[in-house]
Amino acid sequence: MTGITLRLITAGLLAAASASYAMAQDATAIRIVLPEQPANLEPCGTIITNVGQILAQNVVEPLTVIDAATGQPRPKLATEWSQVDPQTWRLKLRDGVTFQDGEPFNAAAVAFSIERMTGGKLNCNNMAKFGDAKLTVTALDDLTVEIKSDRPEPILPTLLSVVMVVSPKTPADKAVNDPVGTGPFRLKTFNTQTVELVSFDKYWGDKPKVTAATYVWRAESSIRAAMIETGEADLTPSIAIQDASNPETDFSYLNSETTAIRIDAAQPPLDDLRIRKALNLAIDWDGLAQLFGDDIKRASQMVVPGINGHDDALSPWTYDAAEAKKLVEEAKAAGVPVETEITLIGRNGIYPNGSEAMEAMVAMWQDAGLNVKLTMLDVADWLRYLQKPYPENRGANMLQMMHDNNKGDAAFTIPIFYRSTGNYATVNDPALDKQVDEALAATGDDRTAKFKALFAKVRTDVVSDIPMFHMIGYTRVGKRLDWKPDITTNSEIPLANIGIKS
Amino acid sequence: MLRYLGRRASYSLISIIGLVTLVFFLTRLTGDPSALYLPLDASADARAQFARLNGLDQPAIVQFFTYLGNLAQLDFGQSLRQNRSAMEVALEAFPETLKLAFLAIALATSLAIVVGSLAAARPGSLFDRIASLVSLAGASAPDFWIAIVGILLFAVGFGLLPTSGTGSAAHWVLPIFVLTLRPFGLLVQVVRGTMLSALSAAYIKTARAKGMPRREIIFGHALRNSLLPIVTVAGDLATGLVNGAVVVESIFGWPGIGKLMIDSIIQRDFAVVQSTILVTAVAIFLLNIAIDLLYAFLDPRIRY
Repeated sequence: MTGITLRLITAGLLAAASASYAMAQDATAIRIVLPEQPANLEPCGTIITNVGQILAQNVVEPLTVIDAATGQPRPKLATEWSQVDPQTWRLKLRDGVTFQDGEPFNAAAVAFSIERMTGGKLNCNNMAKFGDAKLTVTALDDLTVEIKSDRPEPILPTLLSVVMVVSPKTPADKAVNDPVGTGPFRLKTFNTQTVELVSFDKYWGDKPKVTAATYVWRAESSIRAAMIETGEADLTPSIAIQDASNPETDFSYLNSETTAIRIDAAQPPLDDLRIRKALNLAIDWDGLAQLFGDDIKRASQMVVPGINGHDDALSPWTYDAAEAKKLVEEAKAAGVPVETEITLIGRNGIYPNGSEAMEAMVAMWQDAGLNVKLTMLDVADWLRYLQKPYPENRGANMLQMMHDNNKGDAAFTIPIFYRSTGNYATVNDPALDKQVDEALAATGDDRTAKFKALFAKVRTDVVSDIPMFHMIGYTRVGKRLDWKPDITTNSEIPLANIGIKS
Repeated sequence: MLRYLGRRASYSLISIIGLVTLVFFLTRLTGDPSALYLPLDASADARAQFARLNGLDQPAIVQFFTYLGNLAQLDFGQSLRQNRSAMEVALEAFPETLKLAFLAIALATSLAIVVGSLAAARPGSLFDRIASLVSLAGASAPDFWIAIVGILLFAVGFGLLPTSGTGSAAHWVLPIFVLTLRPFGLLVQVVRGTMLSALSAAYIKTARAKGMPRREIIFGHALRNSLLPIVTVAGDLATGLVNGAVVVESIFGWPGIGKLMIDSIIQRDFAVVQSTILVTAVAIFLLNIAIDLLYAFLDPRIRY
């Protein structure tokens, strides 16, 4: 028995040694390793990271795309658009586009895709970014559609960037795992171990250099990084900072996420402006930044640079422990119950070193004279505090959070946090509500200026949050690829943008 | 024998029904899946729609009877994550775990029998000491550490093996090695202990006095009489592996049922949790029957 076993082991090791695990494949085929298995491949779920990174701009395409630098919508399947009246937009569609199943792309297909998404017959994650406006889509001719909404939608072209156009043969009432779109790649296989995309010969645009892509998934960041190093894969997004150790292959990039602490401004002592300012001043921001790496960017507002409404001139709160203590003392002298216990609600695993950051901040607030205690919760419990209706008798609390806005416009941030009806809002100020509504109804430069004014007001006069950092992501890219990540990488990895070094 | 099997099957059926009921209600206690399936900024309407479309807006007891009714028609429900039959998801993953478990336990048992028997034949020798040291280290070392070190050494360092995944014979080497180590360590200790008692029994002394070859005494007589405790422990270890080797499956990207089960619990994919537990419960029932039959085969005094 021993002899047989030893022979088997030796044979296995010899076979292994003789094999090469760097990829033996077509030079234009690439392999991408994701942190998570995509749960499904429903095109209406492309805002989910691992679905979007496979499907968006590869298999399915939207009517518009957001320019990563300017935050403005650019043509994709719609070539031009105009606003007929505050509630009506007219779009001209791209000619000569065919779906991967041979169906023609036209106004009827656009109407079908919008109805499928907004009709309420299937769970559509993308609706969270689209809002709840009721739309009526009319085909004026084969390549022109008119979209009417039940309320003014000044940024409809931006909203349309989350509408993935699918073949009219797609079931309208159930989610699918075999999406058919107009993108440069079509789905070849999807199973529990891989997703394979191959190039679509009748694609309307330029032919990508990559001809096929295989996606696999490994949860461990160190394993994914090792796969790029050994040549088993070409690209992996979202590796941990400690694995980003090779300057030749590892790229840091400002992603679209902003970390912050939300202050429940309705609860004493947090209802006092001096206390909320003291909370911002008491943090040693340079020290805290060391937890997140050298490239981290300090935040003064809840949207990242490049999003319409972001104000570069708005400076973040600086560290001033003496001023923080003074403000707490002043509040105490004025009868504010500063000794009341404030619960800081953290979320396990929200971002790397998230719990360490919370512990450090609690210590700094205690030094400033505030009675802050930390409670770490799992996501489901934490959600109860994030969204309205908030738990009754929750007491004075602050919430650790991370907000992602890569959709080009502060409209995806401001009303949620700062309008009294907002799902995450803790302030209730009719004057602020009016200002938010005016900004949302505005267009062009006026819209940008109004958003900037709002962020400035929130930072200085309202102080309902403690913006922390605009977060950095790390991606490892194999040496044979010519590609760098950007702010959109967390939501899509367009294969057409990837070059192959000769 | 048939009567015994029928009795075991009926007991197991009762246990499985109890388990299914318990799992159904325990999963519902974990909370509302819409909190995890929909984006953080989904509206209340979207959450209500999600609940309605998936039957989660009904009281738990109504959902339970619907589930039982569907179960009677072999409808195990739809996976919320994967948009397909939950049982299809579970049955796709289970053979991958079964293959790993079978190979690991077969290898661990074979090696442990040889090493443990030889160590017991010469107690206190250098071989015995080395075997004890290696087996203790194997039984104590954490899986994830062995796995990561194995990848760094053999995949990144020497380039001999792939880091992870499936596809070739070489992909099996590291996962099997990691999975085999702990059962091997435990079983060497068990084999050595039982063989030490067997080798000091009177019939072994008689065999030695009669001049029987040493190899036949150890493997032909002492080992056969020591097999029952070894089978018991190996069976217990196999049961643990059939439940899923979560750490190994996660690190090596092995699409097995252990990782599926944990992911489904975290994601509140109720139908998949129920299906994976049902599949593993039936597998464990069958494994226990096989172990009982093996007892009867190994020891003629055992009759059912």
